[in-house]
Amino acid sequence: MPEPLQTDSEMRARLAASSVAIIGCGGLGSNAAAMLLRSGVRTLTLVDFDVVEESNLNRQLYFRDQLGRPKVEALADTLLRIDPDARLTLVRERMTEANLVGFVRDADVVIEAVDGAEAKAMIVNVCMRELPTTPLVTASGLAGVDSANSIVTERPCEDLYLVGDLTSDVRAGLPLLASRVMVAAAHEAHAAIRRLLGFDEP
Amino acid sequence: MDVDVALFAFLSDYQPDGLGGRSARAFHLSPGTTVADVIADLKLPDQPRIVFVNNRHADEAVALHDGDRLAIFPPVAGG
Repeated sequence: MPEPLQTDSEMRARLAASSVAIIGCGGLGSNAAAMLLRSGVRTLTLVDFDVVEESNLNRQLYFRDQLGRPKVEALADTLLRIDPDARLTLVRERMTEANLVGFVRDADVVIEAVDGAEAKAMIVNVCMRELPTTPLVTASGLAGVDSANSIVTERPCEDLYLVGDLTSDVRAGLPLLASRVMVAAAHEAHAAIRRLLGFDEP
Repeated sequence: MDVDVALFAFLSDYQPDGLGGRSARAFHLSPGTTVADVIADLKLPDQPRIVFVNNRHADEAVALHDGDRLAIFPPVAGG
């Protein structure tokens, strides 16, 4: 855990020298990537095997003219419009227990941003076991219309940050709304930024 | 031996006192009891989960010790 930085220039320099790996470039990951880049993190690894579909456009940072394109490529185009000098590593692969660590081991912080509960548990369990000193941000519980205030960032152990209301899974009556998904994405991005700058959750 | 057990989200319905909530309850366990034994005794559903012992990530095969704090968290879908 680095010491908290105090000055603007120190913070800018730290973020510019940091790298974040984002596993999953859907509602959480695509929006978190843009927020990290706009906040000054200029080195990102983007991992996603999927292509942009119509059903993504209600909450994910993609556009109609990107339908059918690999998400990592479409997202990279958008991110490079924000920061043409961003250093982006694109990984168009489905994550497995066997390949996961190889893609994210060099990151200063890893963000889990996938959709399924099973994949979330796999990513957390593998990263915590194989990369025990790399901070990991994960999200659970962001569907539905409950208050945005019920989405929080907790730290259940030293290097794990847990974002969400922890209970609202996607099901009938609990859709994924852009507003609440982006609250969770912002929590994930901000947890990573705070950690990179040496601040911590209570 | 005594172990504090906290069950998060919908797993809290499986606390033996039926009161729910994520606060830890004291369990009296036989020496050598593993996390997997606790999961089996509580009849937790076979769904994805993450286990912490004393605020550290742990495997389910790990044996618990007197004074340990066990927390089990089930991720839910959405992203």
